[in-house]
Amino acid sequence: MKAVIYTCPYVPAEWIAAHGLRASRLLLDRVDSTSMFIRTEGVCPFVRSFISEAMNNKDAEGVIVTTVCDQMRRVFDILVRKCELPAFLMNVPNTWQNIESQKLYVDELKRLGRFLSRLGGKSPSNDMLINIMLEYDTARATVLTARECLPARKYAEAIAAFGRDGPDQTTNRVRDTELQISGVSLAIVGGPLMKQDLDLFDIIEQSGGRIVLDATETGERGLCSKFDRRRLHEEPLMELANSYFGGICDASRRPNSGLYRWLEAEFDSRNVQGIIFCRHLWCDMWHAELRRLKDWTDLPVLDIDTAGDNETDGYRSINRIRAFLEMLQ
Amino acid sequence: MSDMPKRITLQEWDLRYEQLSKTGAYQPDYGGPLSRHVEGGDQRLLKLRFDNSAAALRLWNFLLTEEDRLHEARTAGRKIVGTMKDLGTVPVMAYSFEDIVAFYPDGAWWIPCVMELGAGLLEIADSLGIDESFCPVRAMLGAFVTGAHFPIPDMLICSVGATCDDFSAIAQRLNGLGHPVFWWEIPHRRNPEPDEPAVNLPGGFSAPKCQVEFVKSQLERIKAALEELAGEKLDERKLSAGIQKANQVRRLLTELRKLAFTAERCPLPSLEMLIAEMLAIHFCSDRQETIVVLKELLNEVKNRVSAGNGVLDADAARIFWVNPVADLQVMNLLEDCGGRICGTEYLFTHALDEIPEDLPPLEALAQTALADPMAGSSIDRAQRICTDIELFGAEAVLISRIPGASHCALEGRIISEIVQETFDIPVLEIEVPPVTDSMRPTLNTRLQALVETVKSRCQTSLRKRRR
Repeated sequence: MKAVIYTCPYVPAEWIAAHGLRASRLLLDRVDSTSMFIRTEGVCPFVRSFISEAMNNKDAEGVIVTTVCDQMRRVFDILVRKCELPAFLMNVPNTWQNIESQKLYVDELKRLGRFLSRLGGKSPSNDMLINIMLEYDTARATVLTARECLPARKYAEAIAAFGRDGPDQTTNRVRDTELQISGVSLAIVGGPLMKQDLDLFDIIEQSGGRIVLDATETGERGLCSKFDRRRLHEEPLMELANSYFGGICDASRRPNSGLYRWLEAEFDSRNVQGIIFCRHLWCDMWHAELRRLKDWTDLPVLDIDTAGDNETDGYRSINRIRAFLEMLQ
Repeated sequence: MSDMPKRITLQEWDLRYEQLSKTGAYQPDYGGPLSRHVEGGDQRLLKLRFDNSAAALRLWNFLLTEEDRLHEARTAGRKIVGTMKDLGTVPVMAYSFEDIVAFYPDGAWWIPCVMELGAGLLEIADSLGIDESFCPVRAMLGAFVTGAHFPIPDMLICSVGATCDDFSAIAQRLNGLGHPVFWWEIPHRRNPEPDEPAVNLPGGFSAPKCQVEFVKSQLERIKAALEELAGEKLDERKLSAGIQKANQVRRLLTELRKLAFTAERCPLPSLEMLIAEMLAIHFCSDRQETIVVLKELLNEVKNRVSAGNGVLDADAARIFWVNPVADLQVMNLLEDCGGRICGTEYLFTHALDEIPEDLPPLEALAQTALADPMAGSSIDRAQRICTDIELFGAEAVLISRIPGASHCALEGRIISEIVQETFDIPVLEIEVPPVTDSMRPTLNTRLQALVETVKSRCQTSLRKRRR
């Protein structure tokens, strides 16, 4: 079965799967800026990689982009003009505290449903949607539980695999548990990571740290909240919207105070001792949060920025992480 | 001194001001010689070329005294509302109240240019973690921190959603610094689906009816918040009257743009036209005076056009300009290189298009908000640009990138491709920071190349026609 590809955490995989299509949330590969047809100045490396993926993915039958970030919103224009893959732009409101924004999100899910039907999907019955939501919820809980017995990189990979492949192989992926290594407890905070960024987890471990909270978009922070079983059976689509739109905290939210409340609770519960702040060059949303985070928290914060295609970047990051951990040990 | 239209320096304006004063020319209470603004720190004025008409003098003085007007409004007990990002919609509602003055703190993005970085606003933004990788609108943060430019508004209203990330992030930073922001959502304007009820928006775009209704719901929230601030109910009659006044401004600008962009000889320089267009977004904090200023400017232009006079050579290359410039001097530079402006898209065409008066006023405003070129796709925006290129007869397009702006990274290529597919005319992209002095030779060369290309194409087509 061909996949419907996307990266945004606000796209519910369950909704795609309920239409009989394969939802595949991608962990992107970095692309060399010189390989792109577009100019790269000012373009976030993640966006560049997404365009490349959408252009070259042979297993996809559709692509979903959201309005959460302005550059990704504009990627849709490029896809419409340059890519044969059917593309859908989903409006995900930045505001969240009023009923109209929540309703807009639900309406966009319905519109996404019509797009999925045009790709060959079938509008799901409530029972079908409920079953799939339960399946995903169980698998997601399994992945989340595995955090305590997996090295941080494997945990991040398990989350990515769950997003890419769905719940089928989840139990197998997290079954071979390994001993947790010790070290300074760190949180990694930021936007989405790319495959190569997962090396950061190894570097951190080799330098005497361990990631106890993956608060990146591709980590735990990008997973929806657990479904309320009663509401799920009463109004599954509303519960899906509630868990995604209402359950994922992000820097793009206006206001984004929910993100800080979530971070505070997680930092406390996991005894976080330091923060690795990971951002892509030209990502304004996360870049603007860096100083605010530093002002807000008493924990030490290390800024790791990546341009996406430069080896020097990697060496610089290694040195900075080592120095950071030396100071914390 | 001759009364023939021309571009003059600030020093020349001082002489001309004396001459005008001697003839007893009327000066409004904010009038006076332009050079007095340099004493207040507006150093860039020393390097600009200005139109030499009394109407242009009034325009400049009106623009450069806005901060005084805002402080006077505060002293008079009027409520000051900082509207952010939507560029032209919320102020129409705000000015429909008796005692609200609205302005765009976003306008602080020109302070680093006008004061030649002397105000230190960008350094303050740097210190708050908003560095040069962001759009120069980050100067707004500095203006809030120093409080030295505009009074801190009683209320801040900011549109988010289909907006640029820079501004959204900077506004959030502002919120985090203790300036509460009333957020409202402008959704990405999309094409209606088949069988979906659709609405034709001012300016020619269309949108699903449900999106208009959504924006209307957002405007209702804003209306309620403004009513609470003002202690005054805003009924349909008052809002309709506000829309009619805004439309008066928009009609004046439509006529002014048409004359200025299509006249055989350019009757008004691009810098004055840019400022005139900007008046549409929040009336420079005085709606009635905006109308007077624009009427005077329009009369001047009409007189010049009917006399066949202009400020530039008749063979100036006709350029369509996309995006506002952070350094005003670049508008002069294009004219120095032999170009003239024939069409603009400064990110707020929706503030120039008339607001429908035959609809319930909130719905009409919702349509206007949704017609924002930045709320839709770059493809839509390019098509609007194409429509206006045809209307004004532009021969080339200049896309002026705003450093760091999230939309500029990807939209330029799309606009460029669509324009070239449609018209086969040259398109050039430049990047304009707040002060361009160090890169002036590069900019000069690029603008000269564009102008030369246009002129050589004109000569070639002329030769072809003669054969």
